[in-house]
Amino acid sequence: MRLPKAAAVSAALAALAITGCTSYASTGGAAGTGASAGSSGQLVLGDPLAPTTYQAAGMNWGNQSVYAQAVYDTLLRQAPDGTDVQPGLATSWTYNSGRTVLTLTLRQGVTFTDGTKFTAAVAAQNLLRFKNGTSPQRAKVAGMTAAKAVNDTTLQIDLSQPDPAFLVYLAQAAGLEESPKAFQNTDVATNPVGSGPYVLDAGQTVVGTSYVYTRNPHYWDAAAVRYSKLEINVYTDPTSEVNALRGGQLNAAVLIDNSTVPQVQAAGFTAHPNPLNMAGIMLFDRGGTVNKALRDVRVRQAINYAIDKPAFLKTVALGYGQLDGNIFRPGSVAYDQSLNDAYPYDPAKARALLAQAGYPNGFTLVMPTSSAFGTALPPLIQQQLGAVGIHVSFTNVGQNLLPDVLAGQYAASYFTLQEDPNPYQVIDFMLAPHATWNPFHYQDPTADALIQQARTGSTAQQAQALQKLNQYVVGQAWFAKWYTVDNDFVTDKNTNVTIEADNAYPSLWDIVPAS
Amino acid sequence: MIGFIARRLAAGVVLLAGISALAFFLLYLGSGNIARKILGEGATPQAIAQENRRLGLDQSLPAQFGHWAAGALRGNFGVSWFSGQPVMQAITSRLAVTLSLVICAVLLAAVLSVVLGVLAATRRGSVDRVTQLLSLLGHAIPGFLIAVFLVLVFALNLHWFKPTGYVPFTTSLAGWASSVTLPVIALCLGSVAGVTQQIRGGIIDALRDDYVRTLRSRGLSERRIVLKHVLRNTAGPALAILAVQFVGLLGGVVIIEQVFAIPGIGQVAVQAATQGDIPLVMGLVVAVAVIVIIFNLLVDLAQGWLNPKVRLS
Repeated sequence: MRLPKAAAVSAALAALAITGCTSYASTGGAAGTGASAGSSGQLVLGDPLAPTTYQAAGMNWGNQSVYAQAVYDTLLRQAPDGTDVQPGLATSWTYNSGRTVLTLTLRQGVTFTDGTKFTAAVAAQNLLRFKNGTSPQRAKVAGMTAAKAVNDTTLQIDLSQPDPAFLVYLAQAAGLEESPKAFQNTDVATNPVGSGPYVLDAGQTVVGTSYVYTRNPHYWDAAAVRYSKLEINVYTDPTSEVNALRGGQLNAAVLIDNSTVPQVQAAGFTAHPNPLNMAGIMLFDRGGTVNKALRDVRVRQAINYAIDKPAFLKTVALGYGQLDGNIFRPGSVAYDQSLNDAYPYDPAKARALLAQAGYPNGFTLVMPTSSAFGTALPPLIQQQLGAVGIHVSFTNVGQNLLPDVLAGQYAASYFTLQEDPNPYQVIDFMLAPHATWNPFHYQDPTADALIQQARTGSTAQQAQALQKLNQYVVGQAWFAKWYTVDNDFVTDKNTNVTIEADNAYPSLWDIVPAS
Repeated sequence: MIGFIARRLAAGVVLLAGISALAFFLLYLGSGNIARKILGEGATPQAIAQENRRLGLDQSLPAQFGHWAAGALRGNFGVSWFSGQPVMQAITSRLAVTLSLVICAVLLAAVLSVVLGVLAATRRGSVDRVTQLLSLLGHAIPGFLIAVFLVLVFALNLHWFKPTGYVPFTTSLAGWASSVTLPVIALCLGSVAGVTQQIRGGIIDALRDDYVRTLRSRGLSERRIVLKHVLRNTAGPALAILAVQFVGLLGGVVIIEQVFAIPGIGQVAVQAATQGDIPLVMGLVVAVAVIVIIFNLLVDLAQGWLNPKVRLS
């Protein structure tokens, strides 16, 4: 009697285990994360982020762009150097003389995977839907006042004022084209209907972990689709990402942590660094709203002089970056080599500037911190600024870092901000009064005039205004930039890539077989 | 027995309601500006206000909880705020993966603990000392370190297993076994250490009892005495510890799933809690609470079935 009882318990537990094992498949989910990379036309990519939605009007860009490019086309495509655009679903485009009316000629013969034809009316619907949607990128098309179809292949977009970055935005999330029949689908967030090179295989996809795609057999540019199957796996932990790379489970990935570069290179991968983000202390409160000391340019300059940037590059960024004092990227017309030495490490000068500004005994600067900054950085900042008399008090804001900073709760904060090659994107992102990373909406008549001239002037005037703007912003110490930090994309020996200078993730069509 | 089960289930329902309410209010207290997190850095104040209305975050907290509870009672746990996936779908597609890991770990822990515990208690000497040392190490070394070590040795150097990923049972039995082997070993070693000590101690105590002397005087072999009589007496406390370990493993699996990039509820729980994806976190809280309540009920019933002294009538 007793042994059969024990056996029954074991059998029941075993049955339960098997039920647990098998019911996974019956629910329709099947992780593809066990797949080997590079087999028979398959591309397996690693990405630190999953898409928050597949609804085109809600999609983000950056590391999430590759998910969008798999299933959707964009009106334009970004050139790898990040400053220009190439044809996408629009084959040509012209501005009127005032650069406020953009006319695009659209590609014919393109259909969405549900059979709906792509027309100018569809493109107009998508643009207006995006402007009124929930995408974090929607502010980029805020200046678009109208989008209308002139005929089936001609789209007209009206702008409230010239926006030299607008074409670039049409190559990003704002230019995504989704079938209008899918707009009201209840599963629109997880079941995209586009005209892109691949189709999402919902049965093989585990949302948030692994996204599996098969080739779109009706894609208009069949020659550009280099793989029969695409898989994008999400790795939020650097250790598991490196293990997957070293184990040959990925063809390519964006590295979560640059300190893993040597390990990944030792496993036969090639690193493609992209100096994408500027790192440093962002001095947001130039008007002195929260911390009146920051209203004085000498105080902001003192913060710039107080940091030993070469030492920070070596210890904080582990050498993966470049010392660069410009707010605009090298290669941009705004770039000025001489600005790189604008604020050498000089604690004595920092102390003198503070004294001149009326703070001979320093002042207290409250800044936010979070686990995202790591544990080593805050004490280093405290030590360096403390040495010139600035007492830094850190407040741990946990997961509310972004909301709190963007709500203008902190006068300054350490951050890494994307430095786009297109100078107008930099203006819209962190310099203009309405810019996302100008949380106090600080306005400066000189800077505003230069921005206006850069938007509306002739080509020569634009270049001159952009250079002056760069010099002015650096001179006024709007930021305490330390260096530009690399964003590393790695590829195995079977895969080649052309880095997208403007984006954290390369364009999907630029990731190709090595052979 | 039926009355006992009914009372335990009723208590479980009350417990579930309490846990849900507490979790809901705690999540809202610590979640910050959710609309900003969803829409990201470029969102305008108007977009944030619109998103708050869409999510119902402009309503009072009791109203929001009432809305959630009404849906949950109908089996509708809503949609993930960050992925757009229905919560039930997100959980069911992942829960089985996690349960397969945890149940396999519990089964393996049970088998290994019995073998090691019996050997240590009956052989004593060096076997006992080695077992105790291994138990101590199992307790002392965190599961994630064991996981990293296993990946380094068996996946990256020996290439016996893939370092990350999960293959469903129905896709390939061998593939599934290969993908869960290292995670299950990493997960179960801590449990093995605890249960082994319990079984060893229980057997050593029981071997001194009068009934064992009586059995020996009847001429029963030591093997039969240990396996048929002594082990049964020590099974109750060991089962209780194993039940506690099961609940602990449901928490410990979070780290293991991160290290092995396994698409279970641990991985999604970390993401959802970090992001403030309240519908998904609430769905996970309810799912795990239900599992724990049911598992504890089954353990209580098994205890009574195995040991007449605690049999419930």
